Amino acid sequence: MPVKTTDSVVSTNSLYKAYQLADAEVEVLKDVNLNVVRGEFVAICGPSGSGKTTLLNLISGIDRPTSGKVIVLGQDLTVQDEDFLAEFRCRNVGFVFQSYNLVSTLTLAENVAFPMEWSRKPEAEIEARVAELLETVGLQHRANHFPAQLSGGEQQRVAFARALANDPELILADEPTGNLDTKNGQKITQVLKMLKANGKTVIVATHDPEIMCLADRSLCLEDGRLASQNE
Amino acid sequence: MSKTDFPVNDLLRRKLQTSLTFISLTTCVASTLFLLLFSDQIGFGITSVTQNTLTIGYWAIFSNFLVFVGILVFAVGAVIISFITFLMMAQRTRDFGLIKAAGCPNSLVFSYFFTELLMVTFLGCILGVTVGFLTDYAVINMSGFQAYQKAPNFWFAPLVFVTFFVFSLIFGLKPILNAAKLSPTAAMSPMQYFGLSEGNRFKALSKSRLTLKIASRSLFRRQSTTVRIVVFLSIVFMLLTVSIAGSIIATGTTTTRIEKAIGKDLLLVAHKDMGTQYISLLAKFSGATEKTDFNYLDPNFALTEDVFQQLNGISGIANFGKRLVYEGQIQEVMNFTYSDSATIPIGAYREADSLIVGIEPENVLSEWFIEGRFLKNSNSSEALVGDSIAALTFEMPLLQSFRMQNATLNIVGVCLDPINNGVVVFVPFKMLKNLNNVSNPNIMLVQLDSSVNKETIIMQMQERLTNVNMDLAVFELNEVLKKNVGFLGAIWSVIMFLPLFSLVAATLCLIGYLVLVINEQRQEFAVLRAMGAKPTTVLAILAVQSLIVLFSSFAVGISLGVMGTLMILTPQPVVTSFTILEIAAWLLVAVFGMFLLSLWPAIRFAKKPILKIMS
Repeated sequence: MPVKTTDSVVSTNSLYKAYQLADAEVEVLKDVNLNVVRGEFVAICGPSGSGKTTLLNLISGIDRPTSGKVIVLGQDLTVQDEDFLAEFRCRNVGFVFQSYNLVSTLTLAENVAFPMEWSRKPEAEIEARVAELLETVGLQHRANHFPAQLSGGEQQRVAFARALANDPELILADEPTGNLDTKNGQKITQVLKMLKANGKTVIVATHDPEIMCLADRSLCLEDGRLASQNE
Repeated sequence: MSKTDFPVNDLLRRKLQTSLTFISLTTCVASTLFLLLFSDQIGFGITSVTQNTLTIGYWAIFSNFLVFVGILVFAVGAVIISFITFLMMAQRTRDFGLIKAAGCPNSLVFSYFFTELLMVTFLGCILGVTVGFLTDYAVINMSGFQAYQKAPNFWFAPLVFVTFFVFSLIFGLKPILNAAKLSPTAAMSPMQYFGLSEGNRFKALSKSRLTLKIASRSLFRRQSTTVRIVVFLSIVFMLLTVSIAGSIIATGTTTTRIEKAIGKDLLLVAHKDMGTQYISLLAKFSGATEKTDFNYLDPNFALTEDVFQQLNGISGIANFGKRLVYEGQIQEVMNFTYSDSATIPIGAYREADSLIVGIEPENVLSEWFIEGRFLKNSNSSEALVGDSIAALTFEMPLLQSFRMQNATLNIVGVCLDPINNGVVVFVPFKMLKNLNNVSNPNIMLVQLDSSVNKETIIMQMQERLTNVNMDLAVFELNEVLKKNVGFLGAIWSVIMFLPLFSLVAATLCLIGYLVLVINEQRQEFAVLRAMGAKPTTVLAILAVQSLIVLFSSFAVGISLGVMGTLMILTPQPVVTSFTILEIAAWLLVAVFGMFLLSLWPAIRFAKKPILKIMS
């Protein structure tokens, strides 16, 4: 899949998203214009229901905007079909959910490996990469365990390892410390620091002050609008 | 909210699941009721023997089949109902917990779900009874069985209704009662409502592809439900194998036996009245009636030597089979046998009216299926008896003899011949000549060379016969053969039609199972899609699960089915390589049809947007 090597990794233009609920239309995002450049670490904050998750979903191509454009790595995601978006996410976007969302029937190693299997990487390369990523998040000794045998913090670290499997340009994390205690939250912050140091483009939806401090830029969403931008 | 508002709304909210349960119930009840009504009306009921149609030998084959298939249809119905009601109510365990957690008393929650169960099972069973009656009416009136029907036995309706209604309630109540005993938290746990096994960490197929890995491990994780569906589908496939393999083999066997007994491509030469009577006697098997008070030994019916001389000159005639046919009385002769130094009497002195057919043992054109042996020669005092008279008049026919017009004949074989529905004895023609003081036959069967033009020969024969006697005629036996074979085919078609009900219900259950699988793995599928899986990957995982379940059941079901078929098959079945291919093709069509239909919810699900799956 050709990816343009411009400095802009994410660019949204007049992004608008509304959901139809029963008789009423709920506007979640209104006129959101955002530009994230390569290697930038952006934190998005805002109260519950302000549209943080929706914004990340639109950037990853999981959801489609009602109007406006989402351009990621030079591709306009709003005009692509499901198969294109799936492959695009697999190769270029790493997504970390608040509730980890590991596949319960797969071991940790298998959870990390499956995005690489879809990219048809050689088996030897997959094995080496899985070992490397699990070591990075400090869970190499648990490779053959199932998610249910891990704590929340450990599962979230595996979720980061999975997001990094195909070495994507863009990492999106939706409140990655939201379900964790302080100690485990700090471990996740360490992982994010490492991503920043490696020059990855990261967008994190968070309330965590430590992560906000780590960010190059913090954006605040209020009632679906980007209300402030703090450099 | 009233006690009925909630159940009605809840059932309407789960449209797919409610309809699956409802249709499965209806199908099971309808198929069982239809089976009972049809077999009773057509005369293959467990207690009745129809003597107006079919010989006893053929009747026994059908009867064995219907009883066996009937037991299986009932077993499938019971298992389907237990599975589908269990599935329906097990999926409400979570809601049970949620409502209890919101402060609703246990008894009220129980009554909500019990009302739902009552509504679905009652309506499903009522509709099943209606569909069962309608199907029976349609089959009896539209497939050539009108002549044999009697009024349906309406008592079957309450019997089937009550049986299945009670079954449904028992199996449907189990998960609600279990949920009532649980705390709200436990009831809301997926471990409960998806039947997941907590400690299963079996790394099934760890070296295989991701699709197979996720699919197989999910099946292991859902052990209790997976085992249920595999057991149930195995019984369905057993039923399918027995009915498909059994009916194809039995159709081939019975058809071959009829063809050989009547004779394929044979012509009949006789006085036109005698010929018509003989054909009616052959077609009595499939419902025709012959003339009563018919004088078979009327001198006008005699085929004199002139007739043979005329026909002998026609090239293309391969062989003749002379027969003297008339009605008479036979009397069973009591006999004795020895066992452990004791003398055991066999039979009595029962009398019966029978068709008596004199044949030339050296020159017969029929090839009967015989238990025992054929007549030795024209001079022997031996007889072959038809299967019906053997069963009705003799205790151990092969050890007995009978008296006829002051002569005693030893029974050396029991044969299957449709003429006069098997109420027939075949004796040497020479002997009958002496007994009746008749020197000529009244029937002649003619076999032509396979290479000749039949129409031309018939015309030549007719011409020459007219020279002897204007009333002599040539009849083709193929038509009566076709009618009899068609009649057999129609009955087998109905028997093969029975498992179709079970197949439909089984497919619905498999769809229900896949709906459960989808619900359980919904979140995981959404994550896989978010991580870059294409919709086809999700479809593939679901398809693999369906295939594993189907093929494991298929393997077990077929093995049991083959055993069942061998148990009820007729002796010396006619099995060719084409028969085996035909059976395999039907079974494969059934399994692939089920597989494709089961994918319907998976296809619908795979098309959904990721966020809709997650919500």
